[in-house]
Amino acid sequence: MTFDSSGLGLPVEIGRIDKELGKLWDSSDDTKTRASLINFVIHTSELASLAIDTEIISTVAAKHACRAILIFSNPAAQAPAAQAWINAHCHQTGKGERQLCSEQITFRLDGESARALPNIVFSHLDSDLPLCLWWQGELPEPLDETLWAWVDRLIYDSAAWSNPAHQFSIVRHLSSRNGKGAVLCDLNWTRLQPWRYALASLFDHAAAFPKLAKVNSIEIDLNHGSQTSALLLLGWFACQLNWSASESDNEFIDSGGRKIAYTVLHNGNHARNVALIQCEGAEFELSHEADSDFFEAAIRIPGIVDSRQILPAPRRNTTDTLLAELSRAGRHPLYTKSLEKIFPLLGR
Amino acid sequence: MPTDTFQSNPLRDGLNLRSIPDPCSLVIFGATGDLTHRKLVPALYNLAADGALPQAISVVGFARRDKTSEVFRKELGEATRKFSRQAVNEELWENFSNSIIYHRSEFDNPEGYASLARHLEELDAARGTRGNRLFYLAVAPDQFEVILENLRKSGLNKAATGSWARVIVEKPFGTDLPSARRLNDLVETAFDESQTYRIDHYLGKETAQNIMVMRFANAIFEAMWNSRYIDHVQITASEPLGVEGRAGYYDKSGALRDMVQNHLLQLLCLTAMEPPAGLDADSIRDEKVKVLRSLRPLAGDEVFRHVVRAQYGAGAVNGKRVAAYRDELNVNPESNTETFVALEVNVDNWRWAGVPFFIRVGKRLPKGGTEIAVQFKSVPPVLFRATGETVDDNVLVIRIQPDEGISLRMCAKMPGSSLRIEPVKMDFHYGTSFGKATPEAYERLLLDAMSGDATLFARRDEVEEAWKFIDSIHEAWRTRSNDIAVYSAGTWGPGEADQLIKRHDASWRRL
Repeated sequence: MTFDSSGLGLPVEIGRIDKELGKLWDSSDDTKTRASLINFVIHTSELASLAIDTEIISTVAAKHACRAILIFSNPAAQAPAAQAWINAHCHQTGKGERQLCSEQITFRLDGESARALPNIVFSHLDSDLPLCLWWQGELPEPLDETLWAWVDRLIYDSAAWSNPAHQFSIVRHLSSRNGKGAVLCDLNWTRLQPWRYALASLFDHAAAFPKLAKVNSIEIDLNHGSQTSALLLLGWFACQLNWSASESDNEFIDSGGRKIAYTVLHNGNHARNVALIQCEGAEFELSHEADSDFFEAAIRIPGIVDSRQILPAPRRNTTDTLLAELSRAGRHPLYTKSLEKIFPLLGR
Repeated sequence: MPTDTFQSNPLRDGLNLRSIPDPCSLVIFGATGDLTHRKLVPALYNLAADGALPQAISVVGFARRDKTSEVFRKELGEATRKFSRQAVNEELWENFSNSIIYHRSEFDNPEGYASLARHLEELDAARGTRGNRLFYLAVAPDQFEVILENLRKSGLNKAATGSWARVIVEKPFGTDLPSARRLNDLVETAFDESQTYRIDHYLGKETAQNIMVMRFANAIFEAMWNSRYIDHVQITASEPLGVEGRAGYYDKSGALRDMVQNHLLQLLCLTAMEPPAGLDADSIRDEKVKVLRSLRPLAGDEVFRHVVRAQYGAGAVNGKRVAAYRDELNVNPESNTETFVALEVNVDNWRWAGVPFFIRVGKRLPKGGTEIAVQFKSVPPVLFRATGETVDDNVLVIRIQPDEGISLRMCAKMPGSSLRIEPVKMDFHYGTSFGKATPEAYERLLLDAMSGDATLFARRDEVEEAWKFIDSIHEAWRTRSNDIAVYSAGTWGPGEADQLIKRHDASWRRL
């Protein structure tokens, strides 16, 4: 594949990045102000992603002023090489002419140079600002502890992993640092947020939430994301309702010893996503048609409730999901607890 | 905290960073009025669009006009399309509006309340609203008594075990201390204090809530937040508008009652209060009420020394000629109602001894804005001052509206071989930093009331202490009717206000 660097900005020597950035601002007019609230680092192993990631950075910068560092590393390359480009993303604020600008530094690290990744990151951070690292694709092993110790928020997408069991064990390791480790931000989990809200709201009805103690089975069929998406949703249920994985396949056990059968389907061939919860004397269904802005929620409790409602299902592409994640402060305790629930299921 | 936490939906746990509102029926008295159309229902729609409302919710409009639920929904839909902060999605509106019902009744008709009770029970059964009721009095205060009495007589003020009943009261909370007490007593006949939510929409604004975070989550500010480092504080609320359609109310009220008694004293409390013992509603309100109790009372001649009142004359605002206040429609041509007031207020406690708080509020001023400016003391007159250089004092400005944010003015050396010092400004803008629209104050306040969180609502003792302070000023004003100054519309108020702050060797900030 030919490498087109035209969208990456001005090529610069790595040792002169700060000076060249300074020149960039000196030459801009008074209406532009540089702003930065976070260090936003994207790491990719896909050359084709550089253009897409630059677009994403531009959108992110409009909402979260940042020092953006985009790194393409290709350790498999024969010849070592390190190249850099600088760029600025400016966005108008309010009605006036004033523009807020974020800087982007892009690196291409080939061969041996890819090992310099931690140094590259450390030497170009905006000091005192949090470091959000979005690691696209599989997390590396072995982990470079010096790099990960600097990360405040680690963003990844478990839906893209080819070996979730192994990758989740790396995540588990990263999260086990006595609460001092990076905040784990799984875009797969963030994408499921509207599902969790909508599913929870199915059980707000006074006659509905007691049924949560009488769940017989749960079936989740999501065509978007991957099987881990459905598993994460299942893990969330298990965590909230205090279920543990049974020794038999496809079964949870609640705190009273009651068995709950589960089915996780991942069928990319149809456009309908469904979560169906069968309880003693009740049935709850949340469905979502691809490209719809709404969920359809159905509650059937014979003789008491038989309702159908629509609930907002915001459509989110990767950038929207990333923005939702960046807008949210704090840790994700529910995620880490839900992960614990699905660990035993991952190898099955 | 919600009273029915023990029976809440476990799937909701940890889902939100804020407390989740309980399923409930919201009954709005005065449902055909302006507040319902412009603020309440658009706020509810936005909450629904953000997925922040409980799925089980009913909105019942209680009013006297004869109309059907369908017509009511249609009117509210039009208003929401006009006033909502986000574009209305028709499908979502359709879904949300199914929860809206119109209940026609006179406010003094007991049968209207009996049928309301029956109606709410049916809604509980059909929608799972669990017997929780939130009554919103969006009516003039003279209607409160009849509504509260009928709520009490019909038993709607009492909730079944495990459910709750609450009432939201809109300002004005009385017109003076006796009327506020009467009003509070009246509310208490039906709802106790823990069930009562007095709305001051300023407290629902994001920046007002941020005052506490800024003070108590940043070591650099709180350490200097006292009379040792702070020279004085200015709290300003200015608006270019005149009385618009509110002349009837405003001419009886005036700027002191309309703005200072509630909004500006609340801002003063948040600025001056001690760190609360916790983040629960009462710990915060305890500290706020201590500030009000520490206000040095202004009475008799002291009022004329520390308070300036004025009324706008004819002038020009934003290049347009505008009439004098007395020439406005529905204003008494001999009115002595103040449209501008400036006060020097002292908080007599250990922290603030000797630090005046200057409050200024007015209509027909050159531009609109609300801010708190904390003016720090000058550095000692050595070093740079001794060289003859002007060294401006540090000012921390908390902008409440518009363009919410915080700025800090500090001194910096100008580049060059000579020593030149210039003030520079560090600026934080909510809009650009967090990149998302701040929700409307009513959205936050409605959610809080549904969740049982009274932190952002005024407590009875706060309201009454504030009136006590305001009443003694009015008492003095009544003894002299000719001391009201006049300022031209489009200026920053009368010269007397400038003199007031000049005595402290300071001047009003330019917004």
